[in-house]
Amino acid sequence: MKKISLNVNGKDHILEVEEDMRLIDLLREKLGLTGVKEGCSEGECGACTVIMDGEVVNSCLVMAFQAEGSSILTIEGLGDEENIHPIQQAFIDVGAVQCGYCTPGMILAAKALLDKNPNPTEEEIREAISGNLCRCTGYNKIVQAIDRAKEVLR
Amino acid sequence: MKGSFIMEAYKAKSIDEVIRLLSQFEGKGKVIAGGTDLIIDIRNKKVKPEALIDISSIDELKTIEDLGSFIRIGAAATFTDLVESSLLDENLYGLKKAAREVGSPQIRNRGTIGGNIANGSPAADSVPPLLCLDSTLILRSIKGEREISLRDYYEKGFKIGEDEIISAIQFKKPEGRQILSFAKLGLRKALAISRLSIATLLEIGGDNRIKTIRIASGSLGRHPLREYKVEEFLIGKDFNEEVINEAVLVLKEAMEERLKGRATLPYKQRAVERVFKDAIYGGLERLKVVEA
Repeated sequence: MKKISLNVNGKDHILEVEEDMRLIDLLREKLGLTGVKEGCSEGECGACTVIMDGEVVNSCLVMAFQAEGSSILTIEGLGDEENIHPIQQAFIDVGAVQCGYCTPGMILAAKALLDKNPNPTEEEIREAISGNLCRCTGYNKIVQAIDRAKEVLR
Repeated sequence: MKGSFIMEAYKAKSIDEVIRLLSQFEGKGKVIAGGTDLIIDIRNKKVKPEALIDISSIDELKTIEDLGSFIRIGAAATFTDLVESSLLDENLYGLKKAAREVGSPQIRNRGTIGGNIANGSPAADSVPPLLCLDSTLILRSIKGEREISLRDYYEKGFKIGEDEIISAIQFKKPEGRQILSFAKLGLRKALAISRLSIATLLEIGGDNRIKTIRIASGSLGRHPLREYKVEEFLIGKDFNEEVINEAVLVLKEAMEERLKGRATLPYKQRAVERVFKDAIYGGLERLKVVEA
């Protein structure tokens, strides 16, 4: 076991982690943040996307001990029913959520994009979510939702 | 990860700490940077390290430095670092383009240039441009530092020792009107493993003759490689469409020799023409922008 400290959704944690634990397992199993979804386990689907020190990463491809000292944002830290984030609201309003499995990763990919580039073009939006697969929506509603969120956030 | 062999994990703070640990574990320690390939290999039990040594937050391994006539890229620089570096604009744009087309934003934020080389994938996108630049790998171990050419690493099967780490990749800046270019064929836009890729370093002289030509390919052999036969054919020739078409035939012949019997050969031979021409003409388009 190895002791690490990190900040998740604004809260500092000191945790004992197994040497072979992945970040996704830490978030889901140690902290109960089940909005982090496991899809392909090899960095293709993006369902496990979280924001680590301001950048999107696949949490299935980061070892827990590598996250020592970092700040992680998961969907639970972005907003909830009482305090919904404009990107989440835009996904609901536009109808960009179907089965919902890709949604946390999609919204975090959108958040990382809009933090860096508040006024992205459609092409930039599609590029930003290119590491997140959705098998329901055909992507157009998701792109529209991010486009709407950018207007609200500006 | 159930059933892995990992007993120890270190988040190293300096190169010295990494090489000391590598020496201590005598081949049972494995360097991890972005983890985008390695974690999958560990899960699939293709590699079974006892110790993992993380280098992803060592600043001295992440810098992209301008050394005057050379550029040195730290091995743990991510593809995003390459995309964002102002040192890789202008004549070096082919390397930036290759970095930009790797995987997805998530993969580019973690995956590193050193990992792309150390894992030896035939499809490593950043390697063909680095081969065109005649890059040198700088290796460190407790015994000291040594340099090997990237070409020798691939073509002569030079090995990185179990106690060594790639600390940087270094190359000479292109001179004059030399332009580095890159084109790839993937099966879709993002997250596509290259089906084939071509990088070129081209310079056309004032007399319209080809003054410099280096060509490297990815996924056209067991590892990325320089296409010497095509280079020999082109050097000194008048640059025109007919000569480029003839060069495509030379490239197809070289592929035939290497990939004979592979089911993908007929497909790649058809596709290579477009990818090669995209690299050559895309580079010349870029040169116009650079010189404007």
